[in-house]
Amino acid sequence: MDSPHDTLVLVSKTFGLFYLIALSVAVLVYVYWPSNRRKFDRAAQAILQGEDKPWR
Amino acid sequence: MVAQLTKSERQVALVILLALTIVGLIFAGAGKDDPIGVHGFLIMACAIAAIFAVISASAEPEPSPERLDTYYDDPSKIGIVLAMAWAAVGMLVGFWVALLLAFPDLTFDAGWASFGRLRPVHTSGVIFGFGGNALIATSFYVMQRTSRARLPDQLSPLFVLFGYNLFCLLAATGYLMGITQSKEYAEPEWYADIWLVIVWVTYLVLYLRTLARRQEPHIYVANWYYLAFVLVVAMLHIVNNLAVPVGLGSAKSYSLFSGVQDAMTQWWYGHNAVAFFLTAGFLGMMYYYLPKRAGRPLFSYRMSIISFWGITFLYMWAGSHHLHYTALPQWVQTLGMTFSVMLLVPSWSAAANALLTLNGAWHKVRDDATLRFMMVAAVFYGLTTFEGSFLAIRPVNALSHYTDWTVGHVHAGALGWVAMITFGAIYASVPWLWKRDAMYSARLVEVHFWFAVTGTIIYVISMWNSGIIQGLMWRTYTPEGTLAYSFVDSLIEMHPYYIARAIGGLFFLIGTLVGCYNIWMTVRGEALPAATEPAGDIPAPAIAARQPAE
Amino acid sequence: MFGLHYKLERKSIGLALAIIGIGSIGGLVEIAPLFTIDQTVEDAPGMRVYTPLELAGRNIYVREGCYACHSQMIRTLRDEVERYGPYSLAVESKYDHPMLWGSKRTGPDLARIGGKYSDQWHVAHFVNPREIVPPSVMPSYARLLRNPLRTDDLGRHLRAMRAVGVPYTDDMIANATADAIGQATPGGEAADGVSKRYGEATNVRVFDGLPGELTEMDALVAYLQIVGRLTDAAYKTAGK
Repeated sequence: MDSPHDTLVLVSKTFGLFYLIALSVAVLVYVYWPSNRRKFDRAAQAILQGEDKPWR
Repeated sequence: MVAQLTKSERQVALVILLALTIVGLIFAGAGKDDPIGVHGFLIMACAIAAIFAVISASAEPEPSPERLDTYYDDPSKIGIVLAMAWAAVGMLVGFWVALLLAFPDLTFDAGWASFGRLRPVHTSGVIFGFGGNALIATSFYVMQRTSRARLPDQLSPLFVLFGYNLFCLLAATGYLMGITQSKEYAEPEWYADIWLVIVWVTYLVLYLRTLARRQEPHIYVANWYYLAFVLVVAMLHIVNNLAVPVGLGSAKSYSLFSGVQDAMTQWWYGHNAVAFFLTAGFLGMMYYYLPKRAGRPLFSYRMSIISFWGITFLYMWAGSHHLHYTALPQWVQTLGMTFSVMLLVPSWSAAANALLTLNGAWHKVRDDATLRFMMVAAVFYGLTTFEGSFLAIRPVNALSHYTDWTVGHVHAGALGWVAMITFGAIYASVPWLWKRDAMYSARLVEVHFWFAVTGTIIYVISMWNSGIIQGLMWRTYTPEGTLAYSFVDSLIEMHPYYIARAIGGLFFLIGTLVGCYNIWMTVRGEALPAATEPAGDIPAPAIAARQPAE
Repeated sequence: MFGLHYKLERKSIGLALAIIGIGSIGGLVEIAPLFTIDQTVEDAPGMRVYTPLELAGRNIYVREGCYACHSQMIRTLRDEVERYGPYSLAVESKYDHPMLWGSKRTGPDLARIGGKYSDQWHVAHFVNPREIVPPSVMPSYARLLRNPLRTDDLGRHLRAMRAVGVPYTDDMIANATADAIGQATPGGEAADGVSKRYGEATNVRVFDGLPGELTEMDALVAYLQIVGRLTDAAYKTAGK
């Protein structure tokens, strides 16, 4: 740890792992959160109907 | 087109164009003995032509408030036409440079006609001209439909579209004059780069403003991808193009970075241009047009969100796989390789999601070449991302890097994925936008499809062959322990493959020209009876009933 | 109504911020340490900067898109080192704004081209590549012999290079134009100035074979003859 370079490299090498795990967990929780299910189903269907004009 | 602008928008347009004329005048004056002077005149000419267009429409009445009951589709229409025009130009130049590698004397004794200057016209022409215009045009279409909201104003979409095309024009004409930064896929010089930043920020603000007008609390996933495309491209573009210009009257600038930092920044840019321009943007296209055309909801909406964050997160680390075994520190190379391999997961989940969406609609894929374009695109997307992860593995990269294998890989993605999904989306939206019953000729769509697929396969296979042969010849040793082949030996072996590649490119080009003709004839054709007109768009069930080949 | 709009708008901006945040970290982690790398990278005390003529040549190399077919980066692989020379070090391109490592070898790597062939070979090869190497697919650059080199703005080029961190002195900037002419006009006072400012080892000669004419060919050949030779660090590393 005698130079900023080594510090930076160390941060780079360790940080990514935890960041990756935390992010995957966050995304999975969001995606599988039970109350979000209806929202996603609706969104998937939404493009197939009723978009003939802006809502105004 | 100008008549669609409100009176005050016309005034703002005039101010913008006047400012642009002055900027052009400054460049033309300051750079009178530099290529930038030519660009000054070009900017001025474009701005003045636009001023005339605005003024000549100034007597037109204020557009009626009823326009607010329909989507604003003029920019999408113009964007699609421009995309097809750039496709024809970019692919034609691509065919020419392919021929030059087989027959190097097939050119003129002039600077602009040499391989090194034409090549970026091809790459920028197809990536930015064709791909970029298609992305802008379809994003306007998709963001309005999925938000059920009209674009917030009439002027800024046109500014984004025409401003972007001015950038493309400056880029392409600049290369011919030798104006380039030499950073691959970021060649345009400083003034064009600054202009693109202005255009791009307007684009981002426009996107956010439209999303803000939506009723639905949830933002449809296609918009996530489009938004990531707009945002990350802005970030990449600004960082990679940081440079100090020689002067106001000089097109030349010197990159702020040098050597190894510049290499890493460039390939961080280069790879993420692939990720967020050529992947995220077109995935946005796919997640809207494919379910829409198939008449079925996305197989798994959740999976599309997981792959979205996967792609956004993982791609950013992958750029260093372009620099294996170079002077870049090894841990950075390893990081790039690891993340490139992991990228396969979100990439394949996106491809699988697309193909599974077609379950129950395979009879449509069989009968409808437009949907088949999108299906083949998804297949090529899966194929190319697999190949990409494979090529990012260090020992594989030792063989493949610097060879035609990379070129083959890129074209599997560019022709097989990007162009195919774009053609699918364009063939789907042209009848919707111009209120036509269907494309002018379903058979010509079919013809285009087969030309495109054949061309892609010929191209990719010939480059795989030549690349692997090249890589193997360079590293083959004689039993005595000396290199078996000279570089020239490998070059001679390439000749037949270079001819085959040009033929593959010609097939693809012919397909594109057929597509241009078909779109032209559709636009010229009869509009649907006025009764359906006020709807502003054709509801999905009606489309499904009007599949051209059914 | 306003309140609702505000909330929705905040959400799309939240999505945008999340994309920026998540997207930028990967690049940051990989790129940031490279800017402190000079603490650990090889040292090259004797490394000199490009002369104005070589820089002009480099700009022609960029202008003509040579990097599309020629790399300047020898990887640490046995066959590459045996074919092209000692593998490239990071320090060798520290004055390269931008770097020209390249990504494709339609033609051979050029990282060690400096001094490998004579000036005459280069000029003849540029005029008609297929006369020297019959199967070559390189375009002819005969026109570079016809184009006079623009030298009046080289001082501004050097100043821009200094702004991005290349150690050009005031003396070098002030004499940029004279040095460009001097490097291709041996024997005169101007030529001595080049040796004084850039070192005795600098190539001073008529590169294009046309004495008295300063063409773009002069600049490009002068550049190629110095590629990989600004420092001998790579050869020292290879000798170890």
